[in-house]
Order: sequence, then structure tokens, then C-alpha cells
Amino acid sequence: MTNPVSRREFLNLLGAYGGTSAVLQAGAALGFMPSSSQAAEITLQANNGKKVAILGTGISALTTAWELTKAGYGCTLLEASHRPGGRMFTVRSGTVIDEIGNYQRCEWDNDPHLYFNAGAARIPSIHSNVLKYCKELEVELQVFVNESKTAWVQDDAMNGGKPVRNTDYSSSMQGFISEMLSKALGDSQLDSSLTESESEILLSMLRRFGDLNEDMLYKGSTRAGYGSGGFLDHGTKKDVVALRDLLKARNGGSVMVTTQEGTGSGPLLMQPVGGMDRIIYAFANRLRDRIKFRAPVTEVMVRGDGVEVAYEQNGVTEVLKADYCFNCIPSHLMSGIPNNFPTDYSEALNYIRRGRAYKAAFQAKERFWEKENIYGGITWVNAPIQQIWYPPHNIHGKKGVVLAAYNFGGANYTEMSQEDRIEDLLKHGEKVHPNYREMAEKPMTIAWHRMNHMLGCAPRWARDRGGWSDKEEQMYETLRQPVNGRHYLIGDQSTQHSAWMESAIQSAHHALADLDQRVRSEPA
Amino acid sequence: MKKLMAPTTLFLSVLCSATSLAAEGDIGVAAAMDDRYCTTCHGVEGLGNIAIEAPRLAGMEAWYLKRQLENFRAGIRGKHGEDLQGNAMRPMAAKLSDESITDIVDWIGDWEYVPAKTTIEGNVRQGRTAFQACAACHGANAQGNEALGAPALAGQNDWYLLTQLRNFRAGFRGSHQEDTFGSQMVTMSKILRDDQAVINVVSYINTL
Repeated sequence: MTNPVSRREFLNLLGAYGGTSAVLQAGAALGFMPSSSQAAEITLQANNGKKVAILGTGISALTTAWELTKAGYGCTLLEASHRPGGRMFTVRSGTVIDEIGNYQRCEWDNDPHLYFNAGAARIPSIHSNVLKYCKELEVELQVFVNESKTAWVQDDAMNGGKPVRNTDYSSSMQGFISEMLSKALGDSQLDSSLTESESEILLSMLRRFGDLNEDMLYKGSTRAGYGSGGFLDHGTKKDVVALRDLLKARNGGSVMVTTQEGTGSGPLLMQPVGGMDRIIYAFANRLRDRIKFRAPVTEVMVRGDGVEVAYEQNGVTEVLKADYCFNCIPSHLMSGIPNNFPTDYSEALNYIRRGRAYKAAFQAKERFWEKENIYGGITWVNAPIQQIWYPPHNIHGKKGVVLAAYNFGGANYTEMSQEDRIEDLLKHGEKVHPNYREMAEKPMTIAWHRMNHMLGCAPRWARDRGGWSDKEEQMYETLRQPVNGRHYLIGDQSTQHSAWMESAIQSAHHALADLDQRVRSEPA
Repeated sequence: MKKLMAPTTLFLSVLCSATSLAAEGDIGVAAAMDDRYCTTCHGVEGLGNIAIEAPRLAGMEAWYLKRQLENFRAGIRGKHGEDLQGNAMRPMAAKLSDESITDIVDWIGDWEYVPAKTTIEGNVRQGRTAFQACAACHGANAQGNEALGAPALAGQNDWYLLTQLRNFRAGFRGSHQEDTFGSQMVTMSKILRDDQAVINVVSYINTL
């Protein structure tokens, strides 16, 4: 192979990021688990008979209702949709996807293994509050395989458009990165901050990380699988793919980071047996008659001594009077509901933008991926479908549901017809699996930007990718304070890490703690 | 405030509702499969929603609503790549039947007309002068004129009027060859010489 990145270029690059000294100083943080590794203990003052109106039935609302009900509060939940859960939505035989202008009814086989988590789909082991409720409510969990080295990486620009195995890509990339870094280690600019023994340890790690030879060069690795043999005969290494060829894939970043667990990804994640909505129904089935379905809120008025919420059900407008209100209605929908919120509160609500995520899935006639030695994980495709997921459960079963697209930015799918969406996922999928089109039964798609009563996926606060502005921080704090001590905004929209159930639950806990402190300080 | 649903609508709803199974013992109700979903974007009783950029529908004339829904459905409106709000609306209307359009227009007719809040401030005096050309079709009080196919502008969300005027001027709306009235607006909107003139005329409409 040629040497596509010169040592000088590489060192310049390191210099641009401040060399290694900054990294070394971060050592003090080692040993700490990421935040939220401890589940909160909720201890609300018991049984005060107060009434609470809860708007929406997303997981923040259900958490709130569950904790308040246990403490003796009288809760009523108003849900605009026919189902609970918001963006925790599982599609299976009989499910209606009420996307506006694109209703779909799922006609897959009626089998508990055949489901598609159209919203939240993965639980990291550090999301302790999600896990705490799964345990408390007896929701059975199983391991979700987020990365499979036998899954594929496909880009029209790489390898003539033919897919390469994840392991071919990632082990080669690890090899080249290790080789370049080990060359750089000899340079005084880099190793001045390392002692001799640190350098030795780093080199030894790099040799193994990259599977380098004795000369610290990457000459291929059996980690990518054998070219031939390997069991009855000696295995032979595959040919080395040139770095320059690997660099043609533009989705390599995604391939290389799926095993990092810090903020939610990871090699080991979890999922409830039977679908993510098992968590939702574990709450909802216990709350039962407290939930009013198809009851959209039409007005929210915060008064001195409580909150009045108007809602419509069966064509009739009703008013619910409560002492407190917890509201997880998406901010962009709340802007269309008459209310008497203070101006700065309304401005902050109007500011939050709605995400555009898109997912699609189909029932596969056969578990064709297993014939390709794939038993879970993600194939990365450099096309708007971006990802193909293989079900890690019911291995060797008859059929399975393949997630055929997951675009967190939504691409152009929101405006596309169902027919065009299906053709798009088949067209890109068959570049990876030649029999894909033949295997796909009854594809279902979901563009969250068009979902009735949702109109968006994860809320987006920061307009600048670089981070939150002071103004945004200020608006966020405004929404974290209850209006008149009576109205609380909850959900991942009132957190700084949207798109995760853990965030939504923590927003509920934050609001509950504030409520409890207010109730406790009231004169007896 | 709220009228009861007409018998025909009830029939439509019953006909179109579908059970949505989760699992045995799970709570929930049948999903509504009718096409009365306008308020999700356009707000309670169609008052408009700035966060969705979906305009006020309450008070919009039945004939204008019908024409626009038909135009969206046919791709006469909302297909230009730069008409972002139109792009969002078009797929919502793509599958509507004639029956659904009639039902939606009747339903919207039940909503109370409430003038939208003012959010834009420009030079009203200059806007008034420019408006004289608009008044020929839309009426001196921007009350609309069905005979000329010109909808009422008074009371509409000013941010919506602004977007539409900008879209007409840029040809993002009204460029489709079958959009007869839209193409007239493309021509007329060019009387406004710059964006400030657009802001001014909308500011004047706010006073009507």
C-alpha cells in the first residue's frame, strides 16, 4: 500500500488539536461513571388528595402519573391520540400509524417477535431511571445487539459500490490509525509529554489495537476474517484494503463509533421483550381509567389557585380543574393551543424546533441476514436510508422484522409518498443484499414530522451546532420554572439531551421534586 | 363554542375508525382514520400556529379553502422546492377525496373567526399606498372578493402573508402553469419593489 497521509501532515493535525497534553490532563476524570448512572429515589409526601392534570402520555407524563398516584394524588391524563406513549411507539400486526395523509395499518403476521420500534428503540446500561422502572414494573428486558462486525458498510464510491463487511472496514481502519500514530510517537513534539514507560505502553497498546507487525506496520489482520481456511486448515489473511480505498466511504465515522457508550450508544444495549411500548403499557395499564384517549387539549389557563384545562372528547368540550398541571405536549403544538402563559415562557416554547426523524421497516419472508452470518447489529449505507438493523431476537426463527431506514435528520422522506419511500428503501437495500426486494413484505414507514398529534421527533434547542447560546440557556431555564408554581413543562423538550427516554424521565423527576417541595412548605 | 358533529361526519368517522392492537390487555381506543387532522398543525379551531408556520384557517372562505386543498392535492401548489411550508402541506392533502375536502371545508366553517395577533411592524403609511393595487381585487378593507378569486387578507397571520408574498415574488408559489390565480399574484406581487415594501404592505393589512 502507498502512504497516503504523511507523518508531517499527521503531526500537524495533532498539533491543531493541542497535542496530547490536554488529553493527559483529563485523567482525573477516569474512574467516574457517566452521569445518570444512579437512579433517583422519589419520595413524595403521601396522600394529600390534590388533583393533577397531566397533558400527554409520553414517558415523562406516565412517570409523573405513576409517582403521583403512588403518593395519593388524583391524576387525570389527557391524550390526543388513540394510544399512549408519544414517541415510544411499537408497530406490529394491527397497529395503525396515523401519519397525516399517510395512514397505514400494519398487516404483518401476528407474532410477538414481529415488531418495529418506530420511535425509541435502545436502552443503554447507564440510563438507570429507565431501567429502574423496567424493574419496578416487571418489564422483561433482553440484550440488543447494536454492532455486528459481520454486518456491512456500503457506499457507491467504495469498492465499486459493493458492500464490505464492517470488520474489513473497521479492523483495517484501526490498523492504519495505529500505524500512523506509532510513527508519530517517535517525534519529540508528541512524546515530550510522555515518559518512556508511557510511550512503551502506548506503543504496545497500538500494536495490539491495530494488529501491527513487528515493524509497527499494518499488513492486514485475521480479525477481518480469513481469506481461506481457519478451521481444518491454517487460515490465510485476506489482502489488505488500501487506506485510500477505505477513505472513499463517507459514512466511516458512523461505522467506527457505534461501540462508544458514553451518551447512549454501545455494543451492549437493551430492549424490552416484545417491543419498546411494553414500558409504556406497563405504566398505562396500571393507570387505566385515569387516561382519557382521543381527548385533545384545547386551552390551558393557569390560575392563582390551580390550572383549568379544556379538552375535547366525542365532540364535546370539557374543562378539567386541577391544583397542578404537568404538560408534555410538544412545544410546537402547544403554540397552537390557547393559553395564558407569560410572554417569555411562550417565546421559549415557540423557539424550540422539531426534529425530522424517519424510520422504515418490513417483515422479511426469511431471516436472510443469518445466511450471511449476521445476527444483529447495523449495516451502514451511505444513502438517505443510512442504516439497516437486523433483529437480535428470535434467532433462527421463521421471519423477522428488518429496520430498513433510520435517518435522524429525516432527509426528504417527510414529503415523499409511501410508494416512493418503499422504492427508495428497496433500491438502496438491494445494493447490500441482492435478494432484499424479494424478501421484503409489507414495508411500513414513519416520518415523525408528519405524525398526527406529534409533528416532530426529538426537540432541537441549539440553532448553532457549536452549542447553546446564552439566550437559549436563558429560555431553557424559563421553561424549567413552573408557571405560577402550577404548570410544569416536562418531556425531553425540557432537557438538554433530547431523544432519550432517560432525559424525559429525569425531566419528570425534576418537576416532581419542585412540586413536592412546594406542597411540603404549604401551611398545614 | 363547539358544534356537535353533523350526522354525515359521524358516519364517516365510524366508517373510518380502526382498531389499533398493541397486545392483549393493553389499554387504548380505536384510531380515527378520518381526514379531520387539520388542527394538529393549524392549532385549536384553526387559529394558526407560528411554531409550525401553519396559518389561521378559521375565517378563511370556503371557496378559497376548497381551491387551495385541490391545488395542494394536484401539486399545483406546494411542489416548488423552495416553498418549504407548501412542501409540508402538499403531502397532507395528497390523498384527500372530494368528499373529504367538502367535509373539511364544512368543519372549518364551524370555527369562530378570530383575527390573528400582530407580529410584524413596518411603515404603515407606505404600506397603505402600495395596498391600493391589492385593493382592486382583495377589496379596500382586504375583505376578499370571491368573484375575482381573491381571498380575504384581513385578520390573517401576518407572518403567513409575508411568507406568501415573498414566495409569489420569488416564483416559489404561483409558477405552476395551472395555478391561474397564483400566476396573477406572481405578477402583482412584483409591484412591491423590495422586501421592505412587502413588510410595509403586510403592516398596513394588520390595521384593517
